[in-house]
This record gives sequence, structure tokens and C-alpha cells, in this order.
Amino acid sequence: MNLALASARGVAAPAPILAATGLSARYGHVQALHPLDIRIGEGELVAVLGPNGAGKSTLLRALMGLVSNAGEVRFRDAPLPRQDVVAVASRGIVLVPEGRGIFGPMSVADNLELGAYRLRDKSEFARRRERVLTLFPRLKERLGQIAGSMSGGEQQMLAIGRALMAGPKVLLLDEPSLGLAPRVTDEILETLGLLNREGLAIVLVEQKAPLALKLAARVYLLSLGRIVAELDPRDITSHDDLAQHYLS
Amino acid sequence: MADWSYIPQVLVSGLGIGCVYGLIGIGFCVIYNASGIVNFAQGAFVMLGGMITQTLFSRHGLPLPVAALVAVAAVAALGVVIERIVVRPLWNRKATMFVMILATLAAQIVIERLTLIVVGDQPKTLPVFTDLPPLMFGSVAIGTQFLWIVGGSLAIVALLAAFFALTRTGKAMRACSINREAAALQGIPVSRMLALAFALSAALGAIAGILITPTQYTAFNVGVPFAISGFIAAIVGGFGRPFGAFLGGLLLGLMQALAIVVFGAGLKTVAALSVLLLFLFIRPSGILGAAK
Repeated sequence: MNLALASARGVAAPAPILAATGLSARYGHVQALHPLDIRIGEGELVAVLGPNGAGKSTLLRALMGLVSNAGEVRFRDAPLPRQDVVAVASRGIVLVPEGRGIFGPMSVADNLELGAYRLRDKSEFARRRERVLTLFPRLKERLGQIAGSMSGGEQQMLAIGRALMAGPKVLLLDEPSLGLAPRVTDEILETLGLLNREGLAIVLVEQKAPLALKLAARVYLLSLGRIVAELDPRDITSHDDLAQHYLS
Repeated sequence: MADWSYIPQVLVSGLGIGCVYGLIGIGFCVIYNASGIVNFAQGAFVMLGGMITQTLFSRHGLPLPVAALVAVAAVAALGVVIERIVVRPLWNRKATMFVMILATLAAQIVIERLTLIVVGDQPKTLPVFTDLPPLMFGSVAIGTQFLWIVGGSLAIVALLAAFFALTRTGKAMRACSINREAAALQGIPVSRMLALAFALSAALGAIAGILITPTQYTAFNVGVPFAISGFIAAIVGGFGRPFGAFLGGLLLGLMQALAIVVFGAGLKTVAALSVLLLFLFIRPSGILGAAK
């Protein structure tokens, strides 16, 4: 519970695990992200909200080095390489991308195994796999199944499970609720909340604000590639508040 | 009129050469899957496999198995070199498929000409691996080299299947072919997988070249016809489907052999291209359906 207390109001913000300074990104000649600062504390769950096209996905992709980007990103006070996804992922910054990016023609078990591609320790591998299958029991029944033949919700669980196999220090999620039934979304968000209470730092990009607000300790509002507000979810008392920020 | 009694015998030899086309076709698929590149230097690997083995064996007196192993290793290394100095720089600049094909074709020509300078233009051959009388089935003779070709090819196909299905590296290579970005997000070194794909497919080409040389000959310029046949095998099988490519190779080998009996040897290439056109018209996605 200490971690939850630390992020409570009035207590100093936790030391950042991930901090970007002047981070910007472009696709060709299009500036998709204007230089911005963002900070994720140890054990913190930060939500990034904003309308379609605000640059939320680009922000996550820039943090990973998946798009051409400039600026500095520090992970536990060491600078992260900026255009090298494999290096960023190997440090434990793991992205569950928009559209999940599962390996559809391969089995669920193979997908999970590839999540732990950098891991050589067999007992640690077994431990992580057991943990993932406990968090998502539905995957356990489907280990031998071809991943692409599962329902959207199961695929999202697999994508998150695969990310957990990497033993992430920071988990980045790009709209995990996209296209899922409300009940499945709740199940997934509940699991994310549980992981966060255990101390995992999470950045959650969402279009459905109410879902993210329930979990987040802090919220960044993004619009047209800029951060327009940094909010405490408890200050947002009505949807009108949020709508105002969206529109401003 | 053709003599039909030759047909079974001809089918046997067609199956042998078909295995070789199949191996070359698999080589095309392995690189295509890892990178989306069609590597036309594939024929150079086939030629060098036979040529290096022949040189080490005849000129330097190495035992045949040792010469063959050294040749496969050397050609695999050359595959990595080509990936590093020809393909990688273009890939990093996001060159188009057309540029890649031209660049690898250029590499093919350079290797071919260097080989001509080093070993000359005389065709060379290797002895059969085991010098035993052919097995007779009625009027059909099955030479031991045929058994080496078929057995060796099947063993390699089985090993490859196990590699892609069971090992972490094999699975990672498949992951790269399914979704390169998602593979990188798992920390899979995508560029190292590309180098590995070149090594693997160069080794496949070299093995194909070594297996076939005792039944034919090798010369500096045998690479391109083999590359074309392997390429057709890959298309017929469904481009990007390694086992489809092997089936495609068998089909192509049989068709060519039949065409030689029925229409005469001059029409071998016509038969190969007709098979290709037939598939492009009727089933463009190939026997197993294209990978992408």
C-alpha cells in the first residue's frame, strides 16, 4: 500500500522511472509531436488522454524509438538510446502496441515465449509464464491454439501477457480497450490495476477517459501533438471538465 | 515420336533435380520472409557451393565431406557479407524492391565474373558421393547420387521445419516475417535475424550446388539458370512458403523432365516458364497460398 500512498495528494511525487525532456516526433515532414516533457514515477500509473489524432500513440512510439524523434528520455536517470527499439525494449520498457501486434499465425505458447526472448533463465521463464497464466486463466486453456483465431479480448490478454513475459519495468499500453466488449475491458483494466498496485509503472493511452481515470494517479491531456494539461483525476469531477480540456 | 518407356526413368531424374530446385526455392523464401527482399544472388551461392567443393577436392586434395563442409560454411559466410555490404545499406535507406533486385543481381554478376577469373571457364564436376552400382527396379535405374540428393534434401527440409517450429531463434525469425515491428518490440534483434536469413539461405544454395554437381557439372555461369528455377519453384509453391517452394521445385523438376522426353531437350526452359505462367494465370498465390 506504500506505493499507493506515495502518489496520494500532498506527498512528494515518486522519483521518476521514465522522464522525457523536449521529446518530439515527426513522420516525414509532419511534426506529429511538438517538444514536450513527460514524467512517470516509480510505481505510478499515468494515463494519457486526448481526442483522436492528438498524438497519443505517437508519444508512446517516440518513447520506444519507433518513430523518428528528438529530445531526451531518461530511464532511472540513465539516457535511453533514441532510435533503437531493441535496445529500449531490452531495458524493460515494453509497449503493447495499438492493434496488439500479436504473432497471429503462431500459437499462444509461442507468442508468450517470444515475449521473453531476451530471458535465458529457465526457472525465471517458468515463473513468469505461471504468473501470466494465473492473471489470464483463459490463455491457459488456449496455449496450443493459433493466436490469430482467438477473440479480440483474448488477443489483448495475450498481448499484455506477452509483454509481462519480458519482465517489464515500465509497461506502455496503447488503447487496450479498443474494440472490446465492456465486460472484457473491465477485466483487463482490473488486471492492470492489480499489476500497478504491485509496483509496476504503467502508461495507459486511452480514448475512453472514464476507464483510465478510475485507475490513474495522474493524467496528461494531449491535443494536436502538445500536452495541454496535467491533471489529478480527483480534480475532474464531471465530464464537462474534461470536455472543456478536450475542446480548448 | 517420343519413346514412352523412358518415362519412369525420366521422372526419377526429374525428382532429383526438383529437390535441388526446391532447396534453392526455400532459400528465396527464407530471405523474403525475413526482409521482403527477393535475393537474386541466390544462384551464386549454388554455383559457389559446387565450385568451392570441387576446387578443394580436386586441386587441394581435401576429402570430399571436408571439402563440402568448408564450402557450405564459406558460402554461408559470404551470404552474411553480401547482406552487410549490399543489402543492409540499401535496407536502412528503405530502398524499393526493384532496387534490391538489381543490387543482388549485381552481386551475382560480380561473383560470377570473379569466379571466371579465378578458376577459368572450363566446366568441372565432382565424383558421385558413393560409387556403387545403381539400384534396379525393373527397367528403372536409381543411381546412388539420386538417393543422396533426395535423402539430403528431405533431411534438410525436416531440419529446417524443426528449426522454425522448435527453437527460439527459429520462432524469432518467423516472428520477424509476421510482424517486424512487433518482433523488435519483444527485443528480437531484427537486423541480426536478417543476417542469419542470408547465412541460412546461402548454405541451402551451397548444399543444393554440391548435391547436384556430380550428376551434371559446375561452371562459373550455372548460377543464373538455377536461380531462375528456384525462383519459379518459390512462386509456384506460394512465395514465402518454404515447404510450398520445395513442392514447387519437385513439380518443376518433373515437368521439365517430361518436357525433355516429349518435346526434346531444347524445350526444357520453355517447360519451366510455362509452369510459371500457368500458375500465374490459374493460381497466382501458388500451391500453398502466398505468405503475404
